[in-house]
Amino acid sequence: MRKIEKETVNFIVNGRKYQPTIEPWVTLAEVLRDYLDLTGTKVSCGVGECASCTVLVDGNPTLSCSTLAITVRDKNILTIEGLAKDGLHPIQKAFVDCGAIQCGFCTPGMILTTKALLNENPHPTREEVKRFLAGNLCRCTGYVKIIDAVMAAAEAMSKGGK
Amino acid sequence: MSQLVKLSGFFPRVLKPFEYFEPETIGEATQILSRYGDRAKLLAGGVDLVPKLRRRLLIPEYVVSLQWIPGLDYIKSNGDGLKFGPLTLLRSLELSPLIQRDYLALYEAVYQLASTQVKTTGTAVGNLCVATPASDIAVALFALRAQLRIAGPSSERTIPIEDFFLGVGQTALQSGEMVAEVLVPRPAAGTGQAFLKLVRTAADIAKVNVAVALTLADGICQEARVALGSVASTTIRAGKAEEMLKGKAIDQRIIEEAAAAAAEETRTITDIRSTAEYRRETSRVLVKRATGKALERAKS
Repeated sequence: MRKIEKETVNFIVNGRKYQPTIEPWVTLAEVLRDYLDLTGTKVSCGVGECASCTVLVDGNPTLSCSTLAITVRDKNILTIEGLAKDGLHPIQKAFVDCGAIQCGFCTPGMILTTKALLNENPHPTREEVKRFLAGNLCRCTGYVKIIDAVMAAAEAMSKGGK
Repeated sequence: MSQLVKLSGFFPRVLKPFEYFEPETIGEATQILSRYGDRAKLLAGGVDLVPKLRRRLLIPEYVVSLQWIPGLDYIKSNGDGLKFGPLTLLRSLELSPLIQRDYLALYEAVYQLASTQVKTTGTAVGNLCVATPASDIAVALFALRAQLRIAGPSSERTIPIEDFFLGVGQTALQSGEMVAEVLVPRPAAGTGQAFLKLVRTAADIAKVNVAVALTLADGICQEARVALGSVASTTIRAGKAEEMLKGKAIDQRIIEEAAAAAAEETRTITDIRSTAEYRRETSRVLVKRATGKALERAKS
């Protein structure tokens, strides 16, 4: 049995190792944004209802505002900053090209959730896209262009993107 | 600060400090729980606990993470039935072909939960322990006659799920106890199940939710379970409706009468999601529809 008060722990974020010193009550969103300066992850509602704060933990879409950082130590975390390599990721490009971004606050969460969807199901139907992204709220776009972007990304990626 | 949080919907950036434990066995976990009682909270997926910590609805002195106890995240099945553990994710239940085939009411309850993120992190047992009468999982497990194995510091007990909920947010767990397993008996041949939910949007909490399981033999109903949620201070079984269905060759008239009886057994309230009258009336409609669906599935 461990009792943790304040500890220096390992996080693997976007393939890089970080070792912040944190208390157990620090959330993953705080570690990413405040300790690691990775402010691409957004906190919107802060109470686990909008999914703007979504990051991938070992490939799973996870609400970083509602996750105690200490519980995901040593896991592989992917944030929006980790997607682009030699230019935008096909999902990011599709969101831009389809006009799926207005204020941009839901966008990192939408894009990372999309990545998880396409990893699991590379050729989703529109219904499957709606279903998988149902937890991610957007107050600006009305969702149609977001779904268009996911479908376009799926197409682009199946033609040999990543 | 708490008043400000509750009145304005302003959510603090930082959680309040707590002491934090990572037990490595259920025994260690139950020991901590019995030492600290109400001052300690268990952490499984955290999708209910952490938002409540942020809203200051819960301010535990001790948080006990179950994640470092091996062997709690499983789905097992044999001829007797289904078992899953305290850390079994909602998403694992959703993706199990066995559950989709044989425990359809449970599958339908999990499947309709809208947020992928909640399902990849949240646990079914965690949902049960929140003890909201609106729980979709609970109403399906009532219809499936589930039992809960409860571990305490020095003993264990197994109780039917209908004895688990005592009131809003209140379970039958005594100090030092935690749910160690959920057991769902294998439905008999000739069983049809259905789950229905009346809800404003896909991601919302139910106004009314219902699950029905019927077992037929030679066209006669041998067993009936009718469960309703969001219509009383806990999930309930509509015992009178069940009695009206058992032993009968169920037809539309019997379904209508049983549904009306079920509605009479509710103790609905008016709240932010619906009125008492609307809930009572739509309970009747949902029980009617779910019973019809279960009957059709039992016959096929």
